[in-house]
Amino acid sequence: MKLGLLLVVAAACGSNKPAPKILHVEIRGMKFEPDALAVSVGDTIEWTNQDLVPHSVTSAAFDSKAIAPHATWSYVARTGGDFAYNCTFHPMMVAAIIVR
Amino acid sequence: MRTSIVVVLAALLALAPSCKKKTTEPTAGSAAVAETGSAMGSAGSAAAPTPPPAPTGPTDPQIAAIVVAANQVDIDAGNLAIKKTKNPEVKKFAELMVTDHTAVNKGAVELVTKLKVTPEETDASKGLVAGGADNRAKLEKLDGAEFDKAYVANEVAYHKAVIGVLTSQLIPSAQNAELKSTLVGVKPAFDAHLEHAEKLQAALEGGGGSAMAGHEM
Repeated sequence: MKLGLLLVVAAACGSNKPAPKILHVEIRGMKFEPDALAVSVGDTIEWTNQDLVPHSVTSAAFDSKAIAPHATWSYVARTGGDFAYNCTFHPMMVAAIIVR
Repeated sequence: MRTSIVVVLAALLALAPSCKKKTTEPTAGSAAVAETGSAMGSAGSAAAPTPPPAPTGPTDPQIAAIVVAANQVDIDAGNLAIKKTKNPEVKKFAELMVTDHTAVNKGAVELVTKLKVTPEETDASKGLVAGGADNRAKLEKLDGAEFDKAYVANEVAYHKAVIGVLTSQLIPSAQNAELKSTLVGVKPAFDAHLEHAEKLQAALEGGGGSAMAGHEM
């Protein structure tokens, strides 16, 4: 009984910190949508390639390598900062994630 | 060089008339129906609904064959460029063409297989293949900067032609919604290829590759 109470209290104390979220970016029509995304440390960003051609999600901090058509790649934001990224196959495709 | 582009363009532009001939020549029966409908309409009576206009562009099986042929032509030209060029930017572009057009063809073949559409060759798709072979034969005889300029100039002209036909004929003519959506979805990739090729062409004509820096991350 006491242990149960402790667990409830512990859970309540931990609830101040928002649970990590999963956010989605679509790669469609040679664009990242949205092209700017604000996330929190701990959140997961999932990119899904809806085009028929391969793309990548590449920055100084992360690199998906080739994402095949209809495939998904995800990245967990571990550190804060602004991360501009592009597709190495089609460098005109640019976007950013802002991790706070 | 220009001849092969003209061949490809001529084949693409010949598409509409050749398909129109196949699909719009009225049969005796359809002509009679049209005349009857017109007469009834002018009399102001409760005429039967006017039949939808007959399609004037390529059919879905013909579109499938054109798409596959157009992509294959660019894959073959890209593979030749990878083998022949010494310019790293031209090689990178050629590799991208092979990667992207191979992926588009794979997706197109998967889609038509799913839709149970059997590609049907036309004068246009055959002309594309023949024009591509003619172009490669001419490129084979060139080397160095001469080859690079000819290959990239062909890519600019080719993508302009393909985008034009895609927009004016293939997309409007596609009957299956999924096929139409795929054609619409692939156009931005071809637009990006054209932009890339034009920048590369400008850099080559400027005598160096540094102008391509604006295209890099």
